[in-house]
Amino acid sequence: MSNARKDWLQQLDEASKQKQEQFLNGIAAKLQRPRMTQKPQRPLQGAPEFWEQFELGEVEKLEMFQRNFEAAGGYVLRAATLADASNIIVDKAVELKAMHVLRQDEQLLEQLGLEQAMPQVKVRSWNDDALEDWKARAAEADIGVVLADYAVAYTGSLALLSSKTKGRSVSLLPTLLFALVPRSSVVTRLGEVLKPLDELKRLPAGIHFVSGPSRSADIENDLTIGVHGPGIVYTIIIDEL
Amino acid sequence: MSTQQTELKGTVKERAQLALNNDFLRQAVKFTTERLRSGKLKAAEEHGNWEEWRERGRQIRLHTIAHLDYYLGEFANNARENGVHVHFADTAQDAISIALQIAKAKEAKSAVKSKSMVTEEIHLNQALQSIDCEAIETDLGEYIIQLANETPSHIIIPAIHKNRYQIAELLSEDAGEQLPPETSVLAGYVRKKLREKFLQADIGVTGCNFAIAESGSIVLFENEGNARMVSTVPKTQITFMGMERIIPSWADLEVMATLLPRSATGQKLTVYMSGITGPKREEDGDGPEEMHIIILDNGRSLQLGDPEFQELLNCIRCGACLNACPVYRHIGGHAYGGTYSGPIGAVLTPALKKNVAEWDDIANASSLCGACYEACPVKIPLHDMLVSLRRRKVEAGHDHPLERVGMKGFGTVMSNVKVYHRALKLGKLGQKVVVRDGGIRAKIGPLKGWNSHRVAPSISKQLFREQYGELRSELDQQAKAADPAVAARMREWLTGRDGGASHE
Repeated sequence: MSNARKDWLQQLDEASKQKQEQFLNGIAAKLQRPRMTQKPQRPLQGAPEFWEQFELGEVEKLEMFQRNFEAAGGYVLRAATLADASNIIVDKAVELKAMHVLRQDEQLLEQLGLEQAMPQVKVRSWNDDALEDWKARAAEADIGVVLADYAVAYTGSLALLSSKTKGRSVSLLPTLLFALVPRSSVVTRLGEVLKPLDELKRLPAGIHFVSGPSRSADIENDLTIGVHGPGIVYTIIIDEL
Repeated sequence: MSTQQTELKGTVKERAQLALNNDFLRQAVKFTTERLRSGKLKAAEEHGNWEEWRERGRQIRLHTIAHLDYYLGEFANNARENGVHVHFADTAQDAISIALQIAKAKEAKSAVKSKSMVTEEIHLNQALQSIDCEAIETDLGEYIIQLANETPSHIIIPAIHKNRYQIAELLSEDAGEQLPPETSVLAGYVRKKLREKFLQADIGVTGCNFAIAESGSIVLFENEGNARMVSTVPKTQITFMGMERIIPSWADLEVMATLLPRSATGQKLTVYMSGITGPKREEDGDGPEEMHIIILDNGRSLQLGDPEFQELLNCIRCGACLNACPVYRHIGGHAYGGTYSGPIGAVLTPALKKNVAEWDDIANASSLCGACYEACPVKIPLHDMLVSLRRRKVEAGHDHPLERVGMKGFGTVMSNVKVYHRALKLGKLGQKVVVRDGGIRAKIGPLKGWNSHRVAPSISKQLFREQYGELRSELDQQAKAADPAVAARMREWLTGRDGGASHE
């Protein structure tokens, strides 16, 4: 970034801080009380108490996740081991004649051995080369492979937290998405993922919940799949991980 | 290309007339709202304890708005900590001027946008175009209406009023080749076209469903993936948010995430729910390098401290009140004439403008049935607010002069027995010229509005008032000659009570 631009942004920020005082004082005046600078007391916070008690058993949790994810148009498969998951991905890639596969640069995903299993396919791992145009690589990818941080049974959602090796584009730009979830990472409620975020000191830039393939009903209420994001989404729940 | 028709043309009645004449629109709106409404009811029932969740949602929104200065300040400070450039805008013009400064500094040629009602409200697209920055709507429905040069007619389904043939025509023109009116082909075309636009764009523009004060994050709900595109691919991101979008914490987001998708479309969660906390981290391979959040007032603060309207700021923009409203279902979104339609629009538009005179007839586009309140996931008493609006309109002297004269006359006649009786007698005589088959069909005088759609009853030949004396004496007779058996039973019952019998 040029120095002139940095200066300009700094000026904007200074102006904004002054404006902020005026803006917030205006709100306090409208509320007919002095500015509130202490954190207010809250009798109620988050979900109702009865909801916090809600907890499904192991089997029910997996069933509910599958039911909800499939109802939204996604697919859920079970794999005993990482090797089984690898076979599922390779079979699909061959069946669909995939040419480009993009995976996150995670150790577990490296252990899938996709590169060795599909020498004819270009398999890349996100962000291992600073000179690469990674967005373009994601845009051309037929298949994206990610490791989900959590799966939420009640809403049928995957939770993906971004980092250097876990690019947001990997789960967004490819036509087909494989999300791997260790069985132990499946939780019952959305709150089980959301509440701990309040305790984190610094959050990842992108926290994405994905509940099936991209969809739209904007043309005559006719459901269309794969409008901007992946049109086919597989979750593979892995028992031994 | 401009996407807004900002000028109000005619009255709500005239605009509604246009909509009512459009058979497709009426059918489409009816079908869609019915689908969304039943989806919502089903989702709420399936989830269970809906009233408790609604109440919790209301409590969270009430608390946040009551302490808005604290939470908004907290949000701004935390967002800055994350590396965001935060801006405050009192008016639409202020917001536009900040956005244009950023776009100019970037020498931006194009901006891709995900759905944002705030940018509709401030007419961002025209402003960007005025500095030769192409503004591209990327939500499928929004893209379609942008091509048609129209405004959204529904918060959730903006192109609700277009059929697939009209859409095929618009997209064919855009593509420069004939596209068949098949949903999958049309959506496929838009996917490909916009893919290129996402990758080329200098700026990504998003709205904001919720802003989390404690972490300085913004949260976006969507189904298509375009909001994720817009906030992942371009190097600069500008997020527009109404100043009331705040919730305190991620724990509170669970409540909003429970209420919003279910109320909007009946989904358990939208396909994507994204929490974005600042620009990309140094080591990240994607996400915007520079992120701005523009916080807009534009009339919102006028509701603060107003006991009748403060709760308007609790709205989470789900559209459930539109789907529940019998008037919206008949006249469609465009008849409301503002950015926001349906019951929420009928209150929000005049409230944001604090200009009762110009928008007064919108408040009348409601039957006050209360379906909007029943549907609202945060229990905003919209029907009460509509009554307040009408009252304020009258108090401000913006009621119809003839209506005022009529009401005054009605008062005079009704408050004096003799005058009332004389008026009735006069009516009985006078109506002889217009009564046919026991009813009045002539669209004259005060009966014009009513008789355009219905038949007014004539004044009875024998008035109740005239029959009353006779009826009364008949009743008295009956009372005297009560059935002896009944009388005996009553006496017995009364004596039984003397023993101090209690309720068992």
